[in-house]
Amino acid sequence: MNRTLSIILRRTVSLLITLTVMSLIIFLLVEIMPGDVAQMILGQSATEEAVSALREARGLNDPVMERYFRWVGGVLTGDLGESIYMKGVTINSILWRRVGHSLVLALSAFILFVPLSIILGVLAGVKENKPTDSIISFLGLATMALPEFVSGVFLITIFGVQLNWFPIVSIIPIGESLFNNLEILFLPALSITFVMFGYVSRMQRSSMIQVMNSDYIRAAILKGMNRKYVIFRHALKNALLPTITIIGMNMGWLFGGLVVVETLFGFPGMGSLLMTAIKTRDVPLIEACVLLITVIFSLSTMITDVLYSYLNPRVRFQGGQR
Amino acid sequence: MKYFFYQMKKHPLSIVGISVLLLWILIAIFGPQLTSFTHTAMDAEHQMTAPGEFGHLFGTDSMGRDIMSRIIYGSRSILTVALMTSIFSTIIGILLGFTAGYFSGKIDAAFLRTMDILMAIPPLVLSMVVLGILGDSSILSLTLIVSIAFIPATARVSRGVLLTEKSQEYVSAARIRGESHFYIMFIEILPNTTGPIIVEATARFAYSIMMVASLGFLGVGLQPPTPDWGMMVIENKPIIAQAPWAVLFPALAIASLVIAISIFSDFVSKVLIHER
Amino acid sequence: MNDNILDIEHLQVLYKTFDGEFSAVRDVSLTLKPNESIGIIGESGCGKSTLAFSIMRYLAPNAVLDGKIFFKGEDLMLKSEKEMSTYRGNRIAMVFQNPSTSLNPALTIGFQLDEVGIHHQNLSKAKAREATLEALTMMNIGDVKGTVKRYPHQISGGIQQRICIAMAILCKPDLMILDEPTTALDVTTEAVILDSIKALKDSLNMSLIYISHDMGVINKVSEQVVVMYNGEIVERGPKAKIFEHPSHPYTRALINCMPRGGVVKENAKLNTIKGYVRRRGLVETGCPYAERCDSRNETCEALYGMRTISNEHYAACDRAYAEDVEETVKKKRIPKTRVQIQEPTNLLEITDLHKVYGNKRKVFAVNGINVSVQSGSVLGIVGESGCGKSTTGHMVSGLYQPTSGAISFEGYDISLPWNKRNSETLKDIQLIFQNPGRSLNPSHTVEQIIGRPMKRLLSMNSPLERREKIITLLHKVDLGKEYLTKKPNQLSGGEQQRVAIARALSISPRMIVCDEPTSALDVSVQASVLNLLNELQIESQVTYLFISHDLNVINYLSDTIMVMYAGKICEYGKRDEVMNDSHHPYTEALLSAVPEVDPTKQKDPIRLEGQLPDPAKKPKGCPFAGRCHVQVGAICENEYPPMVRLSDTHHYFCHIKPTT
Repeated sequence: MNRTLSIILRRTVSLLITLTVMSLIIFLLVEIMPGDVAQMILGQSATEEAVSALREARGLNDPVMERYFRWVGGVLTGDLGESIYMKGVTINSILWRRVGHSLVLALSAFILFVPLSIILGVLAGVKENKPTDSIISFLGLATMALPEFVSGVFLITIFGVQLNWFPIVSIIPIGESLFNNLEILFLPALSITFVMFGYVSRMQRSSMIQVMNSDYIRAAILKGMNRKYVIFRHALKNALLPTITIIGMNMGWLFGGLVVVETLFGFPGMGSLLMTAIKTRDVPLIEACVLLITVIFSLSTMITDVLYSYLNPRVRFQGGQR
Repeated sequence: MKYFFYQMKKHPLSIVGISVLLLWILIAIFGPQLTSFTHTAMDAEHQMTAPGEFGHLFGTDSMGRDIMSRIIYGSRSILTVALMTSIFSTIIGILLGFTAGYFSGKIDAAFLRTMDILMAIPPLVLSMVVLGILGDSSILSLTLIVSIAFIPATARVSRGVLLTEKSQEYVSAARIRGESHFYIMFIEILPNTTGPIIVEATARFAYSIMMVASLGFLGVGLQPPTPDWGMMVIENKPIIAQAPWAVLFPALAIASLVIAISIFSDFVSKVLIHER
Repeated sequence: MNDNILDIEHLQVLYKTFDGEFSAVRDVSLTLKPNESIGIIGESGCGKSTLAFSIMRYLAPNAVLDGKIFFKGEDLMLKSEKEMSTYRGNRIAMVFQNPSTSLNPALTIGFQLDEVGIHHQNLSKAKAREATLEALTMMNIGDVKGTVKRYPHQISGGIQQRICIAMAILCKPDLMILDEPTTALDVTTEAVILDSIKALKDSLNMSLIYISHDMGVINKVSEQVVVMYNGEIVERGPKAKIFEHPSHPYTRALINCMPRGGVVKENAKLNTIKGYVRRRGLVETGCPYAERCDSRNETCEALYGMRTISNEHYAACDRAYAEDVEETVKKKRIPKTRVQIQEPTNLLEITDLHKVYGNKRKVFAVNGINVSVQSGSVLGIVGESGCGKSTTGHMVSGLYQPTSGAISFEGYDISLPWNKRNSETLKDIQLIFQNPGRSLNPSHTVEQIIGRPMKRLLSMNSPLERREKIITLLHKVDLGKEYLTKKPNQLSGGEQQRVAIARALSISPRMIVCDEPTSALDVSVQASVLNLLNELQIESQVTYLFISHDLNVINYLSDTIMVMYAGKICEYGKRDEVMNDSHHPYTEALLSAVPEVDPTKQKDPIRLEGQLPDPAKKPKGCPFAGRCHVQVGAICENEYPPMVRLSDTHHYFCHIKPTT
């Protein structure tokens, strides 16, 4: 069987196992939350009987594992349940639109930071210890250290308040879609970009430096190839490969950053939905959001791993003779 | 040791970074003696005053509280939590990572699986959800939860370092002396791993600050009356147009502290790499 | 104007470092004619590699050069980087020590070869590929079309190096520089490559500079030998003259350090050079070797300079056989007499020992060996990489557990891993490793390192008692008291290995497994360690299991020799029986492949093609079948050969019977 295919298969199985365990943990975690769900639905003034009746009706008195399997069953058939806080509203109706928004935001950040980090990282590595490198390295160090909301705040102050170029909140007017209001994406995406740029550009730089100091680059130069050619045809391929892994490893910060940034800018995405859910103790919504974030995150990690295996000749083509 | 100062001369930036860090530590320890205002006193008459007026160096927020004092008091809690988190997660990381790497086989496989599962949730999301559900965010619970979120990373680094050392011949030499596993792990191997582990610990320190600040921003950090820098940002965001300083100063505090620690961490790694 | 390919005049290379300035190459002048091949020999720190990279003008940014390097009349020192790149790979080519790191892992072999032609000769892609295939065929690489499509990691070391050489000859350079190209390869592979290099030199009319620490290798490829020490050339001349009558004391000392055919422990100690190489600062002048020289007298500093010894033979000194100083070299080499103390017993018995690694993907490392070792003797286990000798040593010492078979020591079964062995066994069998730097814990002091086994296995709990014994041990290995507080990174390779030996001896073991203990050391250091091991063995009658790939070293130190191939024993016997009367085809091939230090000795070349059998498959028949030059037919591949006894002490495994 094709090696890449078998890797994909193995990772998918691994992913499913992880997700199953994760879903159990999420479910149990949320269930230990203090506070009675039925009580919250009916409000403080409800009578005891009404509360217990509702508990019965919702099956809240059933044993934990039964409730878990009921939930999982629902998830697999596409029913994520109803929000408690927003009475009667199905989660499906509000969640998916938000997921779409978040993905667009994440994509925008991606488009911004990936090319920028790679190009500047390579540049810094090639010009090691020269002024260009010092500037880029310092920029990377500084931006790496700024939590997303901090850079967001700076951006809002400069571009929003002082210069008034961009809106300082990123809400979509009711009735309109995201695509009519693309300017709200810019500042939030930029905030996320800062941190990711810092990280990835620094790693790219050290990867490039390591490659440029390797024996095979020395051999290429001593074969008479000129420096530019060596950088582009010999070095880059080897230096870019670890970057894929680095980006994959840092997806966690990207997703965390999404939550923070959406909250700061009021952007209608999955992250801000999760925040609302936690604040309002909306159990089914919390479970759905966390599950979805986990799924998307794990998928993205898996994709980067598979991409790496495909692009690395050492993994893709099995070592032949000894 | 001589190399320490040589590197400092070569990279003057590190002097700046280390000084800022020391400054913050001093502020955390001695700060409260420096301000005349407390961090909770609400002055209804002087709400949202600009920096410099009425003796408030950094201005006041929407409730008339002195921002500078709040930042100074906040520095204590954030530094304490971050320090404890980085130490705790590093130590547990060493214990787990070393055990997994040393014994290999099933133990290692189980470890890797567990870490994979823990890492399936982004650390911020995990901490946010757990703290939000628990409701109470004391210094202890913050430390504990953030440490747990960080342990997969520190354990991975420790395991990696251990695996590198395990293949060295001095470990084999210890084995044929019949040394116990504990002796080999902690008396033979551990002293040779301090470099990368210390660098990782300093980096963790920086991430902890970022994490705690972000959690505060999301409202699940330290609760009032303890001032939390992240919380200060979110509370005052609605008035950012009228009183930008209320948001900017806490943000600058966070930024300066994390950048200083990052520069320090970078510097430590340069010095320790040479030592090898 | 002459037609020399290379004219180096007063080259000097200085490095500016954190610790100060030091000179790597000092006042080196060298000429090279067309189609001439010189070998540069020297130990670590002599500057030979720096010299090579200087010719290519490729040194670290903190290097400062002075002098002139004329290549076919043009001074390379005046060339810009751009101009140099037209020379590199084109008129001057270089081959490096480690082929696996010199090839780009992300590019196909074909690409890396084609680009030379495309770049230097402006060939089209198709023409460049033609040239590539031609060069690969010239290097005797089979399946050239398949090879060009592959990536470096899919190819074995020997073939990788041939590819690197093919890359170097693509533009038919005038000068080829080879920096220890075969050091990382097995001796049989090395032999094949050395033959190709020699053939190429003649067919392409190239000049060669061959750098090595191995005199035998240089003898095969070059006519002239250049000896370097501490950045300077100390002697240059035809190889025969250098070997017979070295004029510089360093050359003479070096040659006498090398174990080779005819030099065995009973008739001579290896020569050693006291002291060690140290970095030289900028202002130091005079003879670099004076402080270590045996023939030194008071005038040495003043009379320093290059002298002519005879036609083509120059040396910076002619005091190798000076009569005004006591003849120490001959004296040093008087061997210690061997005294038999006890009746030899069968100390170690290995019976049908097997080792298989892995579960899904198996590796058959050791496939059934039987041998016994007498107490007080030295068993030399020799073979190339993958033969299972290290694995066997590890099983005896307890690092690995045998998959099947038995090892018994003094009658007790010790087929157990280290964590199941009792203290007695652990005390009795110790191990010395190949890489001394890594076998000592970098964070512990010498005192801790040597003292720990005593504390652990002898229960010697008083630190004062231990310290006394440690000091005694240090003296035994020629180290002083001041070493107690040092850490391994403050010691040289030779000193580190001595500490390792002291550590092994600290508990007075009955047997020591020496796993390639000198392979990572310079020749002169290796000599002192071998002498030391020999003396300790004479003194304490400890038994050695001496593992090495270097047949000369094995020849020097062993009483009995065991030749291994692909996990099985080929031949076993007393040293003289195996070395002078070998019968197994592999032993013969091995002996013929070892390069001779003495350039006048001729050997019948037996060249092996092909590779080791796949270790992932269970072995069938004779493991050497397929490569064997005297294979008799299908029986060799299908049936494992029987043991043929030549005497009580000598046997081998082959289907070919001895001709009586």
